[in-house]
Amino acid sequence: MKKETVKIKTLTDNNRMSTQELLQLISSKIAEGYTDFDIEACGQHNIGGSSWALNREEKLNFKITNPGQRAGAMALSGTRITIEGSAPADVGWLNSGAKIIVNGDCGDTAAHCAAGGKIFVSGRVGTRSGALMKHDPKYNPPEFWVLKNTGSFSFEFMGGGIAVVCGYDCEGLSSVLGNRSCVGMVGGCIYVRGPIANIADCVEIKELEENDIEFLKTGLKDFLQNIDKSDLYDELTLWNEWKKIAAEASSHKTNKMSVAEFRQKNWIKDGIFSDFINDDYVVYKIPAVNEGRVHIPHWTKTDCIKCNICVKNCPQKAIEVKDNSYNSINEKCIGCGICAAVCPKKCWTMSDNRKEIL
Amino acid sequence: MATISINQLHLDDLPWIIEYDEEKCIQCGKCTAVCSFGAIKPEVEKRRKNTSCNQEPSFERVLVIKQQISFQHHCRGCGMCSRVCPNGAIKAIRNHNDRYSVRYRAAKADSLKKGGRSNLNTEGRTLDKIKIGRISQMTDPSLDAARHQFELKTPFGRVLSADKLAFRCENGKMELSKQLPPNRWIYPILMGDMSIGAISWRMWEAMAIATAYLNEVIGIPVRMCTGEGGIPVRLLKSRYVKYMILQIASGHFGWNRIIQAMPDMVEDPAGILIKIGQGAKPGDGGLLMASKVARYVQEIRGVPRADLLSPPTHQGLYSIEESVQKMFLSMNAAFNFRVPVAIKVAASVTSVSVYNNLLRDPYNIVGGFFIDGLAGGTGAAHEISLDHTGHPITSKLRDCYLAAVHQGRQGEIPLFAGGGLGQTGSFAADAFKLICLGANGVFTGRLLLEIAGCVGNDTGKCNACNTGLCPAGLATQDVCLTKRLDIDVAAQNIVNYFIATDMELKKLMGPVGNSTLPIGRSDALISVDKHIANRLDIQYVC
Repeated sequence: MKKETVKIKTLTDNNRMSTQELLQLISSKIAEGYTDFDIEACGQHNIGGSSWALNREEKLNFKITNPGQRAGAMALSGTRITIEGSAPADVGWLNSGAKIIVNGDCGDTAAHCAAGGKIFVSGRVGTRSGALMKHDPKYNPPEFWVLKNTGSFSFEFMGGGIAVVCGYDCEGLSSVLGNRSCVGMVGGCIYVRGPIANIADCVEIKELEENDIEFLKTGLKDFLQNIDKSDLYDELTLWNEWKKIAAEASSHKTNKMSVAEFRQKNWIKDGIFSDFINDDYVVYKIPAVNEGRVHIPHWTKTDCIKCNICVKNCPQKAIEVKDNSYNSINEKCIGCGICAAVCPKKCWTMSDNRKEIL
Repeated sequence: MATISINQLHLDDLPWIIEYDEEKCIQCGKCTAVCSFGAIKPEVEKRRKNTSCNQEPSFERVLVIKQQISFQHHCRGCGMCSRVCPNGAIKAIRNHNDRYSVRYRAAKADSLKKGGRSNLNTEGRTLDKIKIGRISQMTDPSLDAARHQFELKTPFGRVLSADKLAFRCENGKMELSKQLPPNRWIYPILMGDMSIGAISWRMWEAMAIATAYLNEVIGIPVRMCTGEGGIPVRLLKSRYVKYMILQIASGHFGWNRIIQAMPDMVEDPAGILIKIGQGAKPGDGGLLMASKVARYVQEIRGVPRADLLSPPTHQGLYSIEESVQKMFLSMNAAFNFRVPVAIKVAASVTSVSVYNNLLRDPYNIVGGFFIDGLAGGTGAAHEISLDHTGHPITSKLRDCYLAAVHQGRQGEIPLFAGGGLGQTGSFAADAFKLICLGANGVFTGRLLLEIAGCVGNDTGKCNACNTGLCPAGLATQDVCLTKRLDIDVAAQNIVNYFIATDMELKKLMGPVGNSTLPIGRSDALISVDKHIANRLDIQYVC
């Protein structure tokens, strides 16, 4: 096995190696058994990504300066990438297991769609960082550690994994997650130290629990060691400065006051028509009894032969006989008119229940 | 022996025929109890019992449900009977051979009236032949309806062009030397425009509650127009009046109470809408049948119980110029030039001339132009007006917008379009398309009734708003019918519909790439109909 480090300078005499040339050079070296690379890049994309050592037991190591976009894209476990200085957009895009350390800032969409591995950033990360991170339960969840802050729209549509934003060197910022972060977030969690503002309403912000603190204690030690900032450990471990953001369980969704409540509590007392109409807002059943009837029966004695046909036919059993007189019970009668239809002597008549409003 | 005569009304003359299944009927009486039209009644039929002709005939009396045959008590097809029937034993079936309209006119020497909407719209709707075809696909990032913050607001009130803004420099600071015309940024969908009287007090209050709730709990700054029947004083004197647009129509109903309340008002209203006409029955004034002129309606309007007809025109207005000088000026003066004043006309061949004329308004007091298309609804109208007069909204709105564009004055007098929006299912799509064609916003009334529980439809089902016997408690003043309406559910349904529509508007704004209203963005629209594409000046596609 060849153990010496492959050193690649991508800019010689004003001639820049193309991304394709560089990546193919790296893969040919890997095919020869090399595992360690020291790359002075010049904006080439995808360095360190989708590679594995010839001997699968061994690890790949990349040291990169001045990378282009998507450093460590689609990287696998067994890959370790260290970027000296800052890196542009998409660091760790679709990271599937690599450890990526950025000793500087990251551009936009760092850790975009990362589903494994660890990404450590010693500076700030740009907008939409952590977007669409996810966790395949067959593997360890992805971790995304940021020492300072993220840009706006970070962690949108996040589906899984763990992000930690330490809020170091963020004095004066109104939000260490920028504006409108976590939109569409459905899973995973974010630990944040420092102010949060204008975050999406699909998440809830919680206090840390015992196991959260345990995770952060161990994790922070490792993170700070990797970015060579172990001296910050004490400053960053005041747990009351931290919060945990998680997708809100649908049962927890904030319940807005219902319209009915609004009418009773906020709306004009007794309703806007109450100087004309004494409306109790009761809703009549259909069909209704009492006042809610469209038609109302009336009985007159004149020709009654007491045949009781009305009583027998009334579907509501609403007709009572008292002292030779027939009476419809308002609480039972729905005003169907069957009594009026069956009475051989037309003793029952129906009238419309039309009322002038008082 | 019972006989008939040829000219009396017969069952097969009626537009709806009750299909009744005696086998399934348990004679519970619910169907006849709920029918607000009295179109069905229990009756006893005499039937022959034995079938053999060798026997002396014997008869039995059988209780059945019978359809009533009269002009007053005919079935409107509302379907309440089948809703309450536990066994599905009864339903109203449309009679394609009906002669009702002939019979009615011949018997009554009166024009036929109905509520609802025109039912002769057979050509299909223009808006349904337009699609949103300009989608951000790699050209520019499309917006995400959930993530992006959209600004769904439109100006209501006169907008001055930049050169007319009277700025001056005072001690190094820019100041306005003249008061700007009043302007409110409101949601691009206005609701209501249905008068107290035309609809029940519960329905009217449900809309008012929904409006207040949408503003204060949900944050959708929707405004409601009162309609021409005035406004309850308790609402007028409350802070919620700021969400209300007061209407003044040719009948000027309810304004006495508004004027009396002015000293006690704590907020200005959102605006004033001068109603010249409505799209469903253009050239005809409001019509409130006596059956709906309840005592409180009489009080607010200051009239006795009678058929209330608003004149077809505002008396005293004889020209566009006079309308501006008199009507706009008076209504602006009413609230000391603090409240925007707009005008609503029925879409007409003449709409563009009117709009052009308004654009020349030298006083900057014309705050909006509402055009109402022929597919709108109404509480009561003569069928002849409803079915045979009017102008579709789409090309008219477009013509007005382009007329302003050609003068470089689009947006100065905001355009609002309405009339039958949401008829084929998607209100948001209709609104969005009209906005792309140049509307600042849209308005809807009838749809709110449907949301709240209207049982009718666009093909003649029920459409009996004029009778005051609305089975859903919406277009009635009858206590027992109105109290069928659950005010909270009706208001909640309206609220929910607006929330859904708001999401859907964003779902259309996203792909087009607009985070503000795409007013006049006709490049977003395409049509597979060449005539429509040509007429509206949008891309023809196939």
